[in-house]
Amino acid sequence: MQKKEFSSHISNQLNRNLEELFNHILEMGGMVENQLDMALSALENADVTVAKEVIRFDKIINQAEMEIDRLCIRVLARQQPTASDLRLILATIRIAIDLERMGDEVCKLAKLVIKFHKNELCVCANYAGYAELVDITTRSREMLKITLNAFARVSAEDAMSILDQEEVVDQVYAKACKDVTELFKKNPENVECLLEVMTALRASERLSDHALNIMESIIYLVQGKDVRNMDQERLTQFLEKL
Amino acid sequence: MSGLTSFSMNRTSDKLSLENEEIAIEVKDWNLYYGSKQALSGVNMKLPKNRVTAFIGPSGCGKSTLLRCFNRMNDLIDSVSVEGSILLDNEDMYLKSMDVSALRRRVGMVFQKPNPFPKSIFENVCYGLRLQNIKDKQLLKETVEWALRGANLWEEVKDRLDENALSLSGGQQQRLCIARAIAIKPEVLLLDEPTSALDPISTLAVEELIFELKKEFTILIVTHNMQQAARVSDYTAFMYMGDLVEYTDTDSLFTNPKLKQTEDYISGRYG
Repeated sequence: MQKKEFSSHISNQLNRNLEELFNHILEMGGMVENQLDMALSALENADVTVAKEVIRFDKIINQAEMEIDRLCIRVLARQQPTASDLRLILATIRIAIDLERMGDEVCKLAKLVIKFHKNELCVCANYAGYAELVDITTRSREMLKITLNAFARVSAEDAMSILDQEEVVDQVYAKACKDVTELFKKNPENVECLLEVMTALRASERLSDHALNIMESIIYLVQGKDVRNMDQERLTQFLEKL
Repeated sequence: MSGLTSFSMNRTSDKLSLENEEIAIEVKDWNLYYGSKQALSGVNMKLPKNRVTAFIGPSGCGKSTLLRCFNRMNDLIDSVSVEGSILLDNEDMYLKSMDVSALRRRVGMVFQKPNPFPKSIFENVCYGLRLQNIKDKQLLKETVEWALRGANLWEEVKDRLDENALSLSGGQQQRLCIARAIAIKPEVLLLDEPTSALDPISTLAVEELIFELKKEFTILIVTHNMQQAARVSDYTAFMYMGDLVEYTDTDSLFTNPKLKQTEDYISGRYG
């Protein structure tokens, strides 16, 4: 499947609307990428100003999701899309939901920076799980970039290349949880800060889950196959057949 | 860092509103009777210029009757009587002093079945111009090309303008009828079920044409096909038993109709 197929209808109005949907998703994805970059910068530099900006920006991402929904409902009601056009609408709605939730998770990272600042604990890097937090967030950022590029190229193969990253993220996350738990046992008085770190770690891990969801939506768009809830073995078999 | 909040997604198209439109036709307290039977009851509506307005509703609801009022086609039926007024650019088209032929030059019509004359493609398109005694060959030639291009048919017929129009396919014949209607450059184009006799691909071609033509004409279309109304129109009027039930922008009517009766009809719960 090629992207140009979505602009080859007799109805130019439908062509324009589907093109707009593509552009809106890429634009919204770009917003989340920017938000993630800012959150990483806030984390690495303990920069509260940047963290607050990240949280404010979430409102714009939420509006983008609503705009995409509005366009989808319009195309569904007025142009009755079928086949790959219909799958594009469903994939678009799902991807917009995942991007909006990624925005929410990124805000949790920004909130960690703000809370540490309030408690005069600016040097996050001294905390257990901090290195892993930055690592997972950076990997999730890369996964998002790959899936957005795959969406732009309408390529299931490109999207699937994030699967290896996802495995690494799971391993890093498991290790971080273990480290934080150990530290909690040794220094129970730090419970408040450690819980904040755990919340942020969980948020960063969720970022990669949402990137994975976007990959599934792209596979659905291209192949017409719903691969959600497939166990690892079946998914691998399916992907090998592609 | 600064730049983040400067992001915002452009809204694709803002919701249409009749309040912001220039009005081509205004219908005031319009009643129509076939003998003693009332077919249209107290219709009031404003039809916007350079927009496509669709009339939908079940058979017998009065949508074609109303459409025919806009160029006084109902004058041809003896038993018809009317009350109220219909203003075309603020001029009552039902005044006795109105020149009906002149009115029909301003309000063209295309019917359900393609009805080309058994003449050449060229003669079909310039028929209305010849009725107006236009004899300038160059002007006729230019207008025929303009109308055929407007009807998206030029490329298909430009090398065989002398062939009989009946040799064209159904979809081509209907586009020829649209070319014939626009050749006299009307202000308003009435389309009465223009695609019901066409295959799905020709239908889409005519729908695309309607979308393009609204740049130059005000278009009113009657269709049994709700999906078609949703695809081509800017505004939609739902009629039932001679009443105008709901009339609003097409986005609103098909995503969030105000009345349950409209919702039941467009979602197939009706009857």
